[in-house]
Amino acid sequence: MTQDEIFEKVRQQLVDALSVDEDEVTPQARLQGDLNAESIDFLDIVFRLEREFGIKIDRNELFPESIFQGDPDFVQDGKVTAKGLSELKTRMPYAELAAFEKNPEFENIGDLFTVDLIVRYVQSKLG
Amino acid sequence: MLLKDQVAIVTGGSRGIGRAVVEALAREGAKVAFVYKGSEQAAKDLEAHVASAGGTAKAYQGDVADPEAAKRIVAGVLADWGRVDILVNNAGVIRDGLFVRMEPDAWRTVLSTNLDGAFYFCRAVADQMVFKQRSGRIVNVSSVAAEHTNPGQTNYAASKGAVNAFTRALATEVGGRGVTVNAVAPGFIETDMSEAVRNKAGDLIKKAVPLKRLGKPEDIAGVVLFLCSPAAAYVTGQVITVDGGLSLGAAVA
Repeated sequence: MTQDEIFEKVRQQLVDALSVDEDEVTPQARLQGDLNAESIDFLDIVFRLEREFGIKIDRNELFPESIFQGDPDFVQDGKVTAKGLSELKTRMPYAELAAFEKNPEFENIGDLFTVDLIVRYVQSKLG
Repeated sequence: MLLKDQVAIVTGGSRGIGRAVVEALAREGAKVAFVYKGSEQAAKDLEAHVASAGGTAKAYQGDVADPEAAKRIVAGVLADWGRVDILVNNAGVIRDGLFVRMEPDAWRTVLSTNLDGAFYFCRAVADQMVFKQRSGRIVNVSSVAAEHTNPGQTNYAASKGAVNAFTRALATEVGGRGVTVNAVAPGFIETDMSEAVRNKAGDLIKKAVPLKRLGKPEDIAGVVLFLCSPAAAYVTGQVITVDGGLSLGAAVA
């Protein structure tokens, strides 16, 4: 499956899961910031991707929201530490971290979850 | 028929309020899977009774306090009928006794069945209703005892108060996915479970109830049916008291 084909399928799943318009689902769109996804929506998206692509997505694999929760080694003074960034890279090898690394504010971590991230993730799962 | 071809699960379904709920849902066209723990004969009778009236009801044995039972039964219902539109958590027990003599077992038994049981079944249908169908109706059978309690029911009151809070909290989570969650809080209903209290204070209770009679299981089933019907599409997170007005606390004139 080409990247474009994956994107089209991901787009359709996001349109259904989030009740958004197709043209809102651009590669750069952030799930929370732009598409107003709530926590239960992330579970819904995982469920739909599993069904659409016939893949198994382990809990905390695609959207590892709890990576840093309450861990002072990973987050200090509201910023993700070097150790935290290295953990992110291990857990989310398909994420584009370059921009985030320049200003690793913890509260911006949700911005990593873009449509493009899902597409790259699915691509890596499909091998 | 209000519920034609819908699939319902009713726990504690072979007797009392549960049985009336099974009959009411089946009468409106739902295929009803009901759960019973020990009353095998009553369960068989109910299956036959519903069938003779032209409906569909199927008995599943299981203890709602057992976390595996809910998974097994829901999987069975999905294999049989492919979906779950309605869940009525009705199974409940009492182990009344004054608190100063209450053993942990009496506490645990009541909480396990009345509260944990509702959790297990809600959890077992959640993916199906929330993600796969994006629709569903959950009705928890609570009790007026959650708010207007009597001595000797600390365990029961705590379990039903928790069910009410659970009902409201769950409603906020799944509403966006087309699932409503409500509770019905019965007052004094003529069932096996309330027999001891009725024998002791039945006449007194009747006088205190503004509608001047005890409730029948059908009185509760009617409200459960409403909450499962299209008429209640915009109702969620509510605890509907069905007690003939008893909780109004009116003086006996």
